[in-house]
Order: sequence, then structure tokens, then C-alpha cells
Amino acid sequence: MDIKLPRLGEGADSGIVVSILVKEGDHVQAEQPILELETEKAVGTIPSSAAGTVTKIYAKIGDKLSAGQNILALAEGGGVAPVAALDKRGPVATSVPAAPEPRLPSAATVPARQVPGIPVAASPTVRRLAADLGIDLTRVVGTEPGGRITLADVRAYIVQLQAGAPEPAVAAAPVIESIDFSQWGPVKKTPLTPIRRTISRRMHESWSNIPHVTQFDEADATVLLDLVKKHKATFEAKGVRLTLTPLVMKAVAATLQKHPIFNTSLDEATHELVYKEYYHLGVAVDTEQGLLVPVIRDVNKKSVLEIAKDLEQLAEKAKQRKLSGDEMKGGTFTISNQGGIGGAHFTPIVNRPEVAILGIGRGALKPVVKDKTRIEPRVMMPLALSYDHRVIDGGSAARFIVDLVQALENLNEPVL
Amino acid sequence: MESIQTQIVVVGGGPGGYAAAFYAADKGKKVILVEQEPHLGGTCLRVGCIPSKALLHAGKMIHEAKESANRGITFGEPKLELAKLREWKRSVVAKLAGGVATIAKARGVQVLHGRGHFENSTTLRVETEAGQQFINYEQAIIAVGSKSAMPKAFDLGNPRIMTSTEALEVEEVPQDLLIVGGGYIGMELGTVYAALGSRVVVVEALPSILAGADPDLVRPVAKYAEKAFREVRLNTKVAKMATAGKQIKVIFEGGKEELYDRVLVSVGRVPNCSDLGLESTKVKRDDKGFIKVNPRQQTDDPNIYAIGDVVGGALLAHKAAREARVAIEVIAGDYSEFTDIIIPAVVFTDPEVAWCGLTEAEAKAKNIPVEVAKFPWSASGRALSFDRTDGLTKLIVDPETERVLGVGICGHGAGELISEGVLAIEMGATVRDIALCIHPHPTLSETIMEAAEVFYGHSTHTFTRKKA
Repeated sequence: MDIKLPRLGEGADSGIVVSILVKEGDHVQAEQPILELETEKAVGTIPSSAAGTVTKIYAKIGDKLSAGQNILALAEGGGVAPVAALDKRGPVATSVPAAPEPRLPSAATVPARQVPGIPVAASPTVRRLAADLGIDLTRVVGTEPGGRITLADVRAYIVQLQAGAPEPAVAAAPVIESIDFSQWGPVKKTPLTPIRRTISRRMHESWSNIPHVTQFDEADATVLLDLVKKHKATFEAKGVRLTLTPLVMKAVAATLQKHPIFNTSLDEATHELVYKEYYHLGVAVDTEQGLLVPVIRDVNKKSVLEIAKDLEQLAEKAKQRKLSGDEMKGGTFTISNQGGIGGAHFTPIVNRPEVAILGIGRGALKPVVKDKTRIEPRVMMPLALSYDHRVIDGGSAARFIVDLVQALENLNEPVL
Repeated sequence: MESIQTQIVVVGGGPGGYAAAFYAADKGKKVILVEQEPHLGGTCLRVGCIPSKALLHAGKMIHEAKESANRGITFGEPKLELAKLREWKRSVVAKLAGGVATIAKARGVQVLHGRGHFENSTTLRVETEAGQQFINYEQAIIAVGSKSAMPKAFDLGNPRIMTSTEALEVEEVPQDLLIVGGGYIGMELGTVYAALGSRVVVVEALPSILAGADPDLVRPVAKYAEKAFREVRLNTKVAKMATAGKQIKVIFEGGKEELYDRVLVSVGRVPNCSDLGLESTKVKRDDKGFIKVNPRQQTDDPNIYAIGDVVGGALLAHKAAREARVAIEVIAGDYSEFTDIIIPAVVFTDPEVAWCGLTEAEAKAKNIPVEVAKFPWSASGRALSFDRTDGLTKLIVDPETERVLGVGICGHGAGELISEGVLAIEMGATVRDIALCIHPHPTLSETIMEAAEVFYGHSTHTFTRKKA
């Protein structure tokens, strides 16, 4: 017979399999916990509704199971679950009412209720250890009868915390004592502006939460630059300044469509990857106050002229500090073009919650070997693609940048 | 004068202070323990728990000798030699105090006898017999305890109006003794004096004696007192007292006047904070005069800690001893806090009352849903075998998790039994955990197991049936 996931009650009808507590060949008793399921509300064990020998396990760790779905198959040999209520008071803590409608036992899925003045249900040793580690035991689910928290429960809680809390708290910055620099010479102090503080915080969050890798390459921008030069005047006639950036954006949008994983965000709370079916590109703008990133929407649907227009407008707003919050939100990928200033490759920091960012350096004339024999002077544009290695593998990044280089090198008249 | 350098100075050599000093020494600190009395031990050892228990034990003999007539054994009238009783009690105290002093020596704790007075946040002046000594310390622990409160209206300077300290001296057995205050001190000493032969009247301002304990646990004590005392008057207040020859004239609120040979005032205790020089430190006190501390026993002065009665809360030796550990652990840089720690309470009346954790009354007052399982001692073979079935064991239980939140016991030896309750609550035990532990037969500890079985509706001896 198949053991199915029972209705869980209280609005939760599905969950993710956290662990499977039995293996094929095991003999299970009725009501013996067979797997741990994580619902929106908590993690709890699911009991077997019958006894027997496990012949097959359908569920896998990480599976999303809904009520009624098969968990495992049992070769019968033990009869169905007895009525759990052995006495008038019903089950204690982890025992669960039998079929047809078992539910997650409340005592084992949510932390037990607290009574003022009475310690959390855990031995003094466990309580002291938890306090020492800064673990709030009122949040820990005790698996023993009465919601009693064991050392193993504390360990499980810590593992769960590390596995990714919904919004991982930024580690408290170590206490850093001020250094008196004036002892070595005259100094001047200026407080951080609010913008700088925000940048500082966001960069730190991004840097400390995302494992960064940066992929380098160069694109031959000779043709692209000629294109810009050639059309500058026509654009100007329409009141728009044409630069390299809108063209790069067009190429990036096309490459993103080919590599949708670069256009995702990681939902750390649900362990889901969110694929966005729109292509809103953030463009880093260097202003006097600091870095700002306005977002140009639907780049894939816009003409270069429209993109250039949007970009000019938003960049101007950024410089005048007139950008609204909304104009900096919703980006799916960011471009930081330092070509106008100088410098070659650099390692940009991913603009969280995006998963990748493209850094562009200043194009420089370089001798390039063509057709294995000729050396030609070409304008080579440095590209640096930083990405969230949790989400994107190195191979994907290499493929992305190869396609991007190709897209950039193949941009031609029709795009304008 | 040269001042003495030390890491830790503990002011007060009671069960909090000497525990702190010893533990600090065990942790490798240089410690000086300052005690104003010639003996270590504090109120508990010298003029509290220990001598009162010695006297209660003596009194119990008189009572039990009388009771045994029911069992066919009669003794002659007891002859009371007060001097000998006092001497025996003194020897008990001296033995213990001497033991504490020996242990202090063995641990290398320097004991300085004299009054301590804070000069500032890092210096304590001690007035010893040999003159002033100045101690420069890194941390001080104040453990100076409390003393009996003596309201102005009763403070006539007449030695016939006693606090517990004088009552424990048993200078005489007064014919008529009035006890003002039916708390645990009044009830315990009332039991002593009643056994020695006094006619005891207890007056209590509140509607019940032993306030704080659940009424069903108090009832057997009240019943016993009804017989052993002349009277227990509840909702009664004494307005004032006056000397009337060799007696004390007591005037009650409402105007009634009575004459007593002696009066024991046991209306509470106040901290021993005056004359300690606290104003020279940053230590702050609450509106009742107790020193303010955080759960780490730290006062508002970063160098000064305080423990025991002087910080208020339950004025109990075992609370002080635990606070001593907390303070030393905090000083040593370890994690420690006095938070959510179960402090058992024991009243050594006849029968004894003991409880820990949540009481039924508290649950009701705070709207905490609980189930209560009671096992009457009339169903205990052990209780019956020594003729004291006036007892009750009860568990206060969280109905949802079946966790034990509180335990209350009234009966002979309740104080010895309550520790199982403390362990159960501290360990987060469920009622089933207790029911599943074999308790030896025939003992009173079985009543705890049987109360757990009552919770599940299958206690073996809920009916007064002889155990097979």
C-alpha cells in the first residue's frame, strides 16, 4: 500500500521534504515519523498511517509534496495505525491522531507556549549553551514530548539558520575603534552623506552575501564605434546624444534573452529562483554624490533611439539628484560602463537582488591577429561579468560572455 | 595606612557571600570576605534557617511524644531545660559556622571581621578590632542581607517585643505569645513556641496565613494551627503596643486591647543597606531600599555586584547562593544570568509546605491555562504509617504540552520532596515523564508519581485502598 501525505490542516496543504527518516527495507510502525516536511509555518514530522516494510520511497529531499501525494510504499505486515488516544486525554506531544486525517502535531512543529517565570522546556545545560550562543530558545521547536528542546534540536535550529534565513541578518560589524589619524599629520573629517551610507550598506550586503566570480573578456568594438560616430549627427538632430551604452544595452538584452538565468533573482526564503520575463537594465551613473543606478525598462522592446533618450533623461535626473526611488527599482541586470572615464578590466559588485552585472572598461587600440596571419589594429573593449556563483555556474558565465561578445561585434545598421 | 589589594571583596558572610567568596577562590581569584559578626554564616546560619530548624526539631519531639499515646506508647510529661536547649542549638550553629570558616581557610579566602563601608567605587574601608583597613578591589560583591522589619509603632525598646532573632534565643517560654504576621517566620516560630508550651495567638493582616502559597496547601497548616495555637486571627492589624509592667499591652485596630507576655513581630524584612557608604558609589536602590541589579547581578556601579536578600525578590538562602554563582561567573567573563530560574519555597511549619514554579493562584491571576492533578496523602501508605495523612501533592500542568509548570506539596517532609519538582520543571519534564519514573515504595515521593497518574486518570491509590 502507498502512504500518502495527509491533510496538514490550518491552510497548509503542501510542503518541501526536508528529510526522509526511513529507508527502503525498514520496518515502520504505525505513527512512526517517516519524513520531515517544511510548510509555510514550520517543520514537522509526518507519521506513517500504517505499519509495514518500506518497499519504495517516492518522495525525495527537496520535493514539494501536496496532500494526497504518495510518500512511500509499504508491504503490509502490521495492520493500520491504532487509535492514538490511549486515554481520555489524547495523544501526548509527538504522537498523532491516526488516519483518516492526521495532522501535524502542534507540539512538535511550533515552539511551545511560554509561561512567564517558567524556563523554556529544555534542560539547564541546553539553556545555558543556547544563551551562550545567543540562540533564543523560544524560537526553537522542541521535538520531545512537551515540546522539550534537546541539544539535537538546538543543533538542527542552527543548521536551519545557516541554511538561509528568509532575510539573513547582516553580520554585526565588528566593533572598530576610531584611529586618531591626526597623530601623523593634519586631517579633515566629513560625515558620510545619506547616499554614501546607503551605497556602503548595500555594497557590504551584496559583497558579504553573494559569492562573487568575475569573468573577463574583450569585445572588438571597432565597428561599434564607427556606428556611433556615423549616427551621432542623426541622433543629435532628434535631440538625443548617442553613446556606446545604448548599443551595449541592446546587445545585453539580446544575450539575456538567450541566457535567462542571468535575468533571475534568488528567493532565499523559499529557495526558489525567480525568472523575470522582462528586461529592465540598470545603468550605473557616476554622480557627485556617488553611484546611482537608474533603471531603463523593457530594453528588449525599445529601439536604440528610445533607449538613448531614456538613458540621457535618467542620467541627467541622477546627476541633479531628482531620481525617484521607483526609477531605481525593478532592474534585472546592471551595466557599469567606465569607458568614458578610462581604465580596463575591473570587478563590479553584483547589484543585489540581481544575480549579475557587466562592467565595461575603456576600449583601446590593440594589435589583433586576424586570419592567423595579419595583425590589425582594433579597438578592444574590456568586459567584466560578475555573477552570483550560488545561482550561476562558471560554464554558463563563459557561454554568456562569448554570446555577448558576438552580439556586440555583430551589431550593425539595422539595429539603429 | 597601607591598603590591601584584592581582586574581589565580598561584603557579608552569609550563604550568598561565602558562596561567592568560595566560588571566586575556586576560579583562582584573590578574595577577601568581610563579615561584621564574629562568625560566618549570616542570618540563615546564625539567626535564621538553621537555629529555627533545630528548635522545630526539638519541639516536634514533644508533640510526637504526646501523639504516640494514640499508638499505645506513653511518656511522662516532658521536662524543659531551656538552657540546655539553647546550648544544643548554639552548638549546632557553632559547628556549622566553624565549618564555613575552616573551608574559607582551606580555600585561601581571607576573612576580615568588621563593618564594611564603601569609600568609593574601588575602595572599601573595614572597621576591624585592630583598626581601620582599606581594601582596594577590582570587584565588590555586596551580600549584606536583610533584617527583620520593626515598625515604629512597635519599637518600644522593650525586649519583650522580639524579632525572629531574639525569639530564636528562647530566653523564656512566655505563657501568652502574640505573633504579628502569619508569614513563614511567624508560623514557624509559632510552631516552636506552641510546642514548648506557649499559648500562641497569630494575627495576620491578610485574609490568609502563608500568603503566596496556594490555599489548598495552606489548609492542613491552618488546621494544625487551629489545634496547636490558641488562635489565628486573619484580616487583623495591630495598631500599637505599650509596656504594661512585665507584659505588653497590644492595641488592635478597632480598639480591642489584650495583654501578652511577649510579642514576636514578623511582618517582613528590610535590606541592610544603611551605613554601607553606598552613596559614595554609583549603586542605586529601589523605592523599598533594595539594591538595584540586572539579571547578571550588576549594580549601577560597574565595579559592584549585589546578591541575596539585599537585592530583594525571594529572601532565601538558596536564591542568594545561586546569585553568588551568577555574579562570579559574570566577573570571570562567563555567560551567566539569573533568569527564569526556579526558586523553590519551603515553609517548615507542621506540616511543611513547599512549592516551586507556577502556583495555581498565579496561573489564575495571570490567565494561564493549566490543569491541576492532586494526590491526597490520605491515600499514601507511607503517610498513614506514621500517622500524618494531612498532606497533599499536586502538579500544575500545561494542558497543551502536558509539561509540569508547578509543583506544590503540603505534608511531613515536603521540603525534602520538592526538589523533584524543581528538577522536573528545570528539565522541561512532562507529567508522563514523572509517571514513568518508578518511585520507591513505600515513600512519600510516591505521592508525586501518583499525582502524575491522577492526571491521566489511573492513579493506583486514589482511593484509600491498602497497597498489595
